[in-house]
Amino acid sequence: MSALLPPADPTGAPPSRRGAAAGRFYRTSEFSLAMISVVGFAVLAVATDFNLLTGGTLGAFFRFLAVPIVIGLAQMVVLGVGQMNLSVGALTGYCAMTAASLMVEHSVPAVLAVGIALGLGTFVGAINGVLVVVTRINGFIVTLATMTILEGLRYGVAGSGTLQGYSPGLQEIGGASLLGVPVIFLVALAVAGLVAFYFRRTVSGRSLLASGGNPFAARLSGISNDRSLVIAHTLSGLLVGVASVLVVAGSGSVNTSIGDDLLLPSFAAPIIGGVALTGGAVSVVGTVLAAFIIRMVDVTQAQFDIDRRWVDLVVGVVVLGAVLIGRIREVVTLRRAGP
Amino acid sequence: MRDLLVAEKLVKTFPGVRALDEATLRMRAGSVHALLGENGAGKSTLIKILTGVEKPDSGRLLLDGAEITVSSPHAAGKIGIGVVHQERNVIPAFSVGENIVLQAMPSRGGIVDRRRVRAEARRCMELLDLDLDPDRPVATLSVAQTQLVEIAKALYLDTKVLLLDEPTASITGDEAERLFTVVRRLVADGRGVLFVSHKLEEVFALCDTVTVLRDGASVLEAVPLADHDRSQIVDLMVGRAQATLTLPERTVEPGTPALELDGVATASGHRDVSLAVRPGEILGLYGLVGAGRTELARALLGLDRITAGTVRVNGTPARIRSVREALTRYRIGYVTENRKDEGVFGDQPVTRNIGVTIWRRLARLGFVPDRRERAVVDTYVDRLGIRLASPGQLAGQLSGGNQQKVSLAKWLAAECAILVIDEPTVGIDVRTKAAFHQLIAELAAGGMAILLITSDLPELVMLADRVVVLRDFAVQGELGNDHDYDRTSQAVIRLIHDDHAGVS
Repeated sequence: MSALLPPADPTGAPPSRRGAAAGRFYRTSEFSLAMISVVGFAVLAVATDFNLLTGGTLGAFFRFLAVPIVIGLAQMVVLGVGQMNLSVGALTGYCAMTAASLMVEHSVPAVLAVGIALGLGTFVGAINGVLVVVTRINGFIVTLATMTILEGLRYGVAGSGTLQGYSPGLQEIGGASLLGVPVIFLVALAVAGLVAFYFRRTVSGRSLLASGGNPFAARLSGISNDRSLVIAHTLSGLLVGVASVLVVAGSGSVNTSIGDDLLLPSFAAPIIGGVALTGGAVSVVGTVLAAFIIRMVDVTQAQFDIDRRWVDLVVGVVVLGAVLIGRIREVVTLRRAGP
Repeated sequence: MRDLLVAEKLVKTFPGVRALDEATLRMRAGSVHALLGENGAGKSTLIKILTGVEKPDSGRLLLDGAEITVSSPHAAGKIGIGVVHQERNVIPAFSVGENIVLQAMPSRGGIVDRRRVRAEARRCMELLDLDLDPDRPVATLSVAQTQLVEIAKALYLDTKVLLLDEPTASITGDEAERLFTVVRRLVADGRGVLFVSHKLEEVFALCDTVTVLRDGASVLEAVPLADHDRSQIVDLMVGRAQATLTLPERTVEPGTPALELDGVATASGHRDVSLAVRPGEILGLYGLVGAGRTELARALLGLDRITAGTVRVNGTPARIRSVREALTRYRIGYVTENRKDEGVFGDQPVTRNIGVTIWRRLARLGFVPDRRERAVVDTYVDRLGIRLASPGQLAGQLSGGNQQKVSLAKWLAAECAILVIDEPTVGIDVRTKAAFHQLIAELAAGGMAILLITSDLPELVMLADRVVVLRDFAVQGELGNDHDYDRTSQAVIRLIHDDHAGVS
């Protein structure tokens, strides 16, 4: 406690000591999500007569978790500055189609195609950011427009055809496992680690969160909020590029519908993961765990042949619940802080 | 002692207002300098110029004898001018340490050097004898602790001049005492502190010299505070009134008050507020910014919850749960102080702006015939002398004064019997202002009960029959008004600055 202020602080600041810090950890949404993940996974394993734990099923579980994780992070990054990116799904599809088309129709080497997909995602993300800053139009509208444009461009790459038979090497990596864990899942985890490091430790990442948390205070501290917006959108685009590479490597064929089913999950993961829509706070761990939980719902559906509509209903209710809990927390904190 | 920071003959004009009129501020190293002035005297503008938020039209700034230009808030910090604003400005999710060093995070190759963040934060906090864990999230701190963290932040970049804007507005008396100890320690090290406060008792307890602003000019420049007593300072802050208008004669009927509050407490924090307005009467509600005047108006409109006490309308207890109920059942209208955001629909025609309160009355089977709306609107456009190209003109295109008239007209159209008018003439030119005063007096003469919230002392003294002074969400006192400017204004100011006033 401060030497200047009495320990019995009338404004009600809780005493912060090591023990209290541990107490806080058990109350974090990350901890709740981890519990739900572990318990849910165990229940699902038992319910499937341990079919879930057999090599093939378990591999598939994690293989199809890679893209939702990265796409959730792509959304989380822009949520961090209080923005949204509606173009994540369409951009994933566009980048994936472009990379596949370059390999199939123009015999571009896989390494170059992957580089182009990453660059394309980053470039479109930067355009989103610059448009938001220059026009002062809300990112929701800007990315709604770019989403529609990208859907058109994506169709333009190969019409309604399917692109397949590209680089066997890339597909092999996409299907490979390391000690039984799919490589593309490991890539997604590594990306998550980098994103976490970026937000925790780099000046750029901290500035971005400062802009999201209190733009006025950030400006008074010499942080450029415009710069933060552009960086957030650019980074989001780069992560979308990564997701598109994972899609191309993992699936073996791509068509013009790729990415259509990614927009809602991109929001579901960070929102269930406890990321505030108002900006200023992100949670990589929460986003990854939430993606895991959503994946479990998917697997449950497949395993028990449940009508697809029930899954959407469950995910929808969970998202609504997560947002409500966030709002309740906010109100409680405000009440405690007093008028 | 040498001059540390000098602001010389600063002039700053905003559209229609001369906010600073050759104001001069002269601060010395190693002393605490008070900046005083009533609402609208130019204090905020002066602070904004010193901290690089606004640029002066003319005049110059000197720091340690060298002329400086402060191009941005960040630039101010870099050359040694630190500021702690009235509102808390922290990044809630960040740690104490990160908030302190936010202006220039210690880093290596773009990666935050957390050891140095902690060390630098500890160094800054030591200057204040503040011992907080640098890793602690700032969201877990009390208001007073957060404020000290902000002072530590202001000291991070080798600050020579520290500006404290109303630092005691949201902390308790004990906490304020500790803050003063910190301030004295900072000036003992040769810094200069500019202390802006409305609380005269604090100013006299802490400050060495004082500058008083009035109407944008410095009427007292950098004199030792010991040479003056409180009433001299108050006289200087208040000044003289301008020529008065001839207002219509009014008689206030002695009977039942149109609106009466009895021991009212609200969710926004009011305690035991009692007041009464009779038909034909103008009750002035005075207080400093943040005293709870607008919040009281909001409670009367059902926007904030009333938690205790009784509100009576025409003698009958009233439960006001929504603006619609306030209007239709109790005939209470509210002209907002925030014209742009709450008063008019800028991108809608004037007709819709005025008609909005009476659509229900005008409607036939759910439709509002344009003709009926126009007829009513025309009446009030004429009566208030609203200058329009056509009634279809967008409200946002009108001048400030005419927008304010539109904002008022909709309540007249709704035939309110009780009108709460909040800062009616802020940002309005002098001529329109006079017309507005005339209008308010006429409305009262016509039998309306008016609760006038204003920070403009001449306006208050001219219009109000009685004055209720609010401070910290409670009634500080009530007094009659004989429209003698010097007498009433000084009585009001004394009431505000007196810590031990009872209700007279």
